Amino acid sequence: MAMDRRKFFKVAAAGCGTACALASPTFAADSARRIGADGYGMLQDSVRCIGCKACQSACKQINKLPPDSSLEGDYYDSPRDLSDSTYTLIKMHQGESGEATFVKKQCMHCIDPACQSACLVGALVKQENGAVEWDGNKCMGCRYCMVACPYNVPQFQWKEAIPAISKCTLCADTRLNKELPTGCTTSCPAGAISFGKRDDLLKVARERIAASPELYLDHIYGEKEIGGTNVIYLTKKKVAFATLGLPDLGFKAPPRLTESIQHGVFKYFIPPVAIYAALGGIMAFTNRKNKAEEKGGPDE
Amino acid sequence: MSKAAPLHQKFWTPNAWLLVFFMASAAVFAYFRFVYGFGSVTNLNPSYPMGIWIAFDVACGVALAAGGFTTCLVVEIFGRHKYHSLLRPALLTAFIGYMLVAMAVMFDLGRWYYIWHTLIYWNGNSVLFEVAWCVMLYLNVLAIENLPNVIEQYKGKVNLPGPLSAFNKTSEGFLSRSEKILRRVGVFFVIAGVVLSFGHQSSLGTMMLIAPNKLHELWMTAWSPLLFLLSAMSVGLPMVIFEGTLASYFFGRKSELPLLADLARIIPLFLGTFLLLRFADLIYRGALTEALAGGRQGNAFLVEMALFVVPFVLLFVRKVRENGTGLFLCALSIIGGVVAYRFNVFLIGMDMGGGWNYFPSVGEFAITFGFLAFGVFLYKLAVNYLPILEDH
Repeated sequence: MAMDRRKFFKVAAAGCGTACALASPTFAADSARRIGADGYGMLQDSVRCIGCKACQSACKQINKLPPDSSLEGDYYDSPRDLSDSTYTLIKMHQGESGEATFVKKQCMHCIDPACQSACLVGALVKQENGAVEWDGNKCMGCRYCMVACPYNVPQFQWKEAIPAISKCTLCADTRLNKELPTGCTTSCPAGAISFGKRDDLLKVARERIAASPELYLDHIYGEKEIGGTNVIYLTKKKVAFATLGLPDLGFKAPPRLTESIQHGVFKYFIPPVAIYAALGGIMAFTNRKNKAEEKGGPDE
Repeated sequence: MSKAAPLHQKFWTPNAWLLVFFMASAAVFAYFRFVYGFGSVTNLNPSYPMGIWIAFDVACGVALAAGGFTTCLVVEIFGRHKYHSLLRPALLTAFIGYMLVAMAVMFDLGRWYYIWHTLIYWNGNSVLFEVAWCVMLYLNVLAIENLPNVIEQYKGKVNLPGPLSAFNKTSEGFLSRSEKILRRVGVFFVIAGVVLSFGHQSSLGTMMLIAPNKLHELWMTAWSPLLFLLSAMSVGLPMVIFEGTLASYFFGRKSELPLLADLARIIPLFLGTFLLLRFADLIYRGALTEALAGGRQGNAFLVEMALFVVPFVLLFVRKVRENGTGLFLCALSIIGGVVAYRFNVFLIGMDMGGGWNYFPSVGEFAITFGFLAFGVFLYKLAVNYLPILEDH
């Protein structure tokens, strides 16, 4: 039996060198995900938005959500944030001049979503139609998606014994499947929300900026931010996106970092196997050394 | 070499009842958590969806159970067999620790009854997927590594009560068979345990990198996985010292001080590598100025570093190492440093936005303490009835 073990270690040690040599080009960059980039999305125009909140009501109706309120702070901003019963929300920003600018908050339906990368059971998946969908038949409720989302969009039902993750669905299963635009788009009286294919929306956005450069900031938020989002934004010339709760997060999608580390460490399973072999080699070596010392030692 | 033996002391001491009290109070809060939802017990909120159950019970739990694989590494792989008597208690506490981690995860999962989905729905891109699988596999490896203790205790002595005695022969056969198999393949699991530990200890460090805009730059580094692994290895032996000292004290046994003091010489190797990489990374990224910028994160960083650096320096002093209290406090400080590090990455260093704050509720603390008490209870049970501790 001792022979078997020794043989095993010899093989393991030999394999170790080969594996190490193969494991070196591990950090090959994974190409970014593009599924759903040509799917549907929305263009939110803060120049046009009048802050009537009709979109909020429409969203509640379609998704059968109960009313939601938090009366602390500014009355207009009630509820103050997204919750398990509020998938979309109009937030008001008041500049120094006192002029109000409104911005609509909901899931950005990222092209390379952090929540999708984070979810260990794959319950959040970017669809061809552009929507990031949550699958309640898979989700374990670990809430890692909530940590991962740069915009804190996914919400958890804190008051339920069996809670769900809730967020804007892009009306994928209520309206998109009937070839209807999202509920919030239809309800908007100011034409501030446009629905369509992402590529077309980008064209519309560029046209609006070109037509009234005195009104619009020459920047489409979500065109490139964090790898691109299917919900894109326009803002007033003097109101920065960051003040509207759309921070500068860079153009790289968050999963690119974690996934390159993860896939680097597990490339073809070579690194773990190499470590295994190396440890086996060390163990065989020290065992043999210890045995030799015992034989030569005064104790035995 | 002396042999390990069960303690066979009186089990239901006042201390045992104290542990039961903590477990019972946790059970009360657990009832509300499972029947009325998280809102009835926790202070978790949309911006802080993960709280102390993840930061302490899981992140610190896994790190502090590193005593198992570091002792394995030192004793079995690097062949330092003079520390052999420390291996069984270290593997036992690691097994108990990981079992508690698995239970804590069940408490923290909103849809806990779907925990088995990890087995069938795979997302290889997810860091948490790697953590879940490694923890799951390692828990099994630890169970196997602890099996010899059970075999040694009951082999040839199986005597089941009443009608169960019909199974005596089968159990006996199972034990001797497992012993034979284990003798042949045990070495396979020893190495597997270390490799699996490397995997998930480091992946826990990758977890919060998915939110680069939330994690403070003192901790936001691509080297985080390696730093997590090195800090886990640094805390492995201090945990062995911590537990060994407490076990001698509470079970009224002879102190293992000479052996532990000798073992402590290895700690600065791990801790030094960790600190070197930690500071090199901070300086290279130019983030070190943030440390002195004050504020919640800056101060939390200073506390974390002090807890690491002070024992690192003191452990070089022979007088400190060979003094029971000095050694214990050094170990405690490193443990505190790793706990601070995990809290800083999972909670304190995370600026989640949205105007929310988080501090654990009484219920969250009660359940965490309940888990700790359960762990100590299981340890007490195991050393009392299984051959874990050796007499010197």
